[in-house]
Amino acid sequence: MSELLSMKGITIEFPGVKALDNVDFSLNAGEIHSLLGENGAGKSTLIKCLTGVNHMDEGKIYLEGKEIRPSSPMEAIETGISTVFQEVNLCPNLSVAENIFVGRQPMKHRQINWREINQRAEELMSRFHLDIDVTRPLSYYSTAIQQMTSIARAVDIQAKVLILDEPTSSLDENEVQLLFSVMRELKANGMGIIFITHFLDQIYAVSDRMTILRNGHLVGTYGINELSKVELVTKMVGKDMDVIFNLKRADVKPDSRITLQANHIGDSSHIKDISLTLKEGELLGFAGLLGSGRTETAEMLFGASRIVQGEIILDGTKLNLTKPFDAIKAKIAFCPEDRKRDGIIGDLSIRENIMLAVQSRKGFMKPMTRQEQTDLANKYIALLGIATPDCEKKAGELSGGNQQKVILARWMAAEPEVLILDEPTRGIDIGAKAEIQRLMLEMCGSGVSVIFISSELDEIIRCSNRIVIMRDREKVAEIDGSSCTQQDILKIIAEGAA
Amino acid sequence: MHNRQSLLNRITNPKYIMVYATIGIFLIVYAFGAFMYSDKGFLTIRTFANLFIDNAYYGISAVGMTMVLITGGIDLSVGAVASLTGMFIAYGTTVLGLHPMTCILASLVMGVGLGLLMGWVIHYLNVPAFITTLTGMFFARGVCSLISRESIDIHHPFIDALAGWKIYLMKYANGQWVRIRPIAFINFNVILFVIMIIIGTFILQRTRFGRNIYAIGGNEQSASLMGLPSGRTKILVYGFNGLCSVLAGVSYALYVKSGWNLSLQGGELEVITCAVIGGTLLTGGVGSMIGTLFGVLLKSVIPALITFNGNLLSWWGKIATGLLLLLFICIQRFVVTSAGKRK
Repeated sequence: MSELLSMKGITIEFPGVKALDNVDFSLNAGEIHSLLGENGAGKSTLIKCLTGVNHMDEGKIYLEGKEIRPSSPMEAIETGISTVFQEVNLCPNLSVAENIFVGRQPMKHRQINWREINQRAEELMSRFHLDIDVTRPLSYYSTAIQQMTSIARAVDIQAKVLILDEPTSSLDENEVQLLFSVMRELKANGMGIIFITHFLDQIYAVSDRMTILRNGHLVGTYGINELSKVELVTKMVGKDMDVIFNLKRADVKPDSRITLQANHIGDSSHIKDISLTLKEGELLGFAGLLGSGRTETAEMLFGASRIVQGEIILDGTKLNLTKPFDAIKAKIAFCPEDRKRDGIIGDLSIRENIMLAVQSRKGFMKPMTRQEQTDLANKYIALLGIATPDCEKKAGELSGGNQQKVILARWMAAEPEVLILDEPTRGIDIGAKAEIQRLMLEMCGSGVSVIFISSELDEIIRCSNRIVIMRDREKVAEIDGSSCTQQDILKIIAEGAA
Repeated sequence: MHNRQSLLNRITNPKYIMVYATIGIFLIVYAFGAFMYSDKGFLTIRTFANLFIDNAYYGISAVGMTMVLITGGIDLSVGAVASLTGMFIAYGTTVLGLHPMTCILASLVMGVGLGLLMGWVIHYLNVPAFITTLTGMFFARGVCSLISRESIDIHHPFIDALAGWKIYLMKYANGQWVRIRPIAFINFNVILFVIMIIIGTFILQRTRFGRNIYAIGGNEQSASLMGLPSGRTKILVYGFNGLCSVLAGVSYALYVKSGWNLSLQGGELEVITCAVIGGTLLTGGVGSMIGTLFGVLLKSVIPALITFNGNLLSWWGKIATGLLLLLFICIQRFVVTSAGKRK
């Protein structure tokens, strides 16, 4: 196989950190090569350097033996390197067809040839087994179709190198399989594909080789059969898996007092009748499929959606929650599912993000001094191990795992009695996951009651004292966390019987 | 195969919703006028032609403004630039004795130059368009007052000829062409307006530059990641809007035959209103020339209705326009959120 792309000795320094240190990478024609590493390991930096977004301080890039130095995304595309980013980087207002061709529309008599655009787009999408109206705006379609559109664009550009940066995070199983078949087809046509994902199974399903990065250093490049999954994780994290997940369940005594109690609560639309209790220092897991009512229940407990029936009792007093502020005052905290949309305020610094809940509870008439704020922020940065040069860095510039820690810090600083975490480990890597879980359990140890919502059953089982199982917007079972298996839970989710 | 060719499917494409809303509401308002005042001649071609004649200068400016708004920007300088153009022509011909074409050329250099400069500042210095063009507005208005603080009449054979030039609308009857009754005509301004709408449509629909405008308005970051020249496009859009402002200024000078340093104050807001009730999204990415054309007509039919009524104060026109604007912003909100929900 011929070498298509080769990156040698790539070094990139950002103020204060070496993001990449002497990293080599190579890609053959007709190969799917996975790029692995934890968040912040330097995967994105390497990709950005290849696509001309970041500029390297040292190192050389060769494409088909010729040295290239892309200085802008446009230039990278022209040299034959196309990227499909995790977040769909297309224009929602343009039609599917136009998104594929904008900037390089076929012309006829010096005018855009719409007929050809729509026809060719239709052909491309049907290659992906998608029979859709390509003249409708992109925003009209699901994320999966949007993702396919951006792949279609890259394919039609006749890229030599295709970079897929977390393309599967918003796709369901069928869509993932569809994507894989497209990837295999492209590979057969001699394209080199760089594939980045957090899902280890997917790496083994399609890749030929994998390259592992850790803290900006190259760990190594391996054939897909050379490493087992456990060895792979060990190399990514730099520690053994057993050490990473050496967690101890929260210790709850049978006579611990009940902090939060919900009796037959329901909201105006979906949830009819949910009852649950939460003890001091207990971790209660919420399992169930997406859309089973987990998030809606959490929102009711936080006052984000209004309850129309039932009651919520905290420490023996009935709460009247009409808005999140009421819940915050009652010392209930909630980390929402979509941290980019609902949690982190990217343009504010880490310090300001941490201060939000504290300040909101204290009231804005009693501001904290700058020094108090800095001390508090630094305390949590150290406690949670947030990787940042200082507390004034913008939260939006942190990696996903570190952003999640900032949100955790925000609520820890507010000293809640009840903490509700909705998918706190989604989209972050395995090391950061373990750390978030450890932090949750530590908070339980200090007497906080935690509700932990997750789609990943293994982490629910690993951490929870009790597990509430939701199905079709109802609570169908509540089981003991220490004595159940994934099969038990799956069975209940599938069949609905306790 | 999906039948995208089918007429029904084309018509129901959600990208046309805003245009339908504008045309629909215009037709309703027009039909209302026809029903109430047809005896006073509301339905005549003359009334319709007058909608164009009395608002052509807003329409010409709205062509450029639509493009600016589609990129997600805004330009508050258009009224002042148009007013300055009027001052250039009035002062140049009446006081300095220059030929009006020289003055118009000078205005074009000034208007396009200022537009390009503002576009450059907005893109490369990353200053919000609102602030940048507000500065441009104060600058142009200031220069107006430097030239003269009195209204200057324009007396020049060229201007008189251009302003007086009309095409009478004819009909064929009894074997010969006769002027329709009541007499209706269109003038230079109307033709310029229609030409600008056609040019604008061509740019937006048929050129890569035009499609880049939409892409930038949809998501500027994505647009540049897709390799589109966002900086160049934005600068040229503000330059083109400068051109439209100057042409609007020429058109207004022909309409009132004078230059005044305080003319067209608030004109930029009228122009933005035309574009918005024509279906242009203030957040960018959506808009069309045909929508803007109907936006101008819709906005101008209201004062016409009030005139025909004869009993209402003209200020009711402002209130009605405000309500229309509110209605359209609500429709836009609804369209945007319902599109977002399908994800």
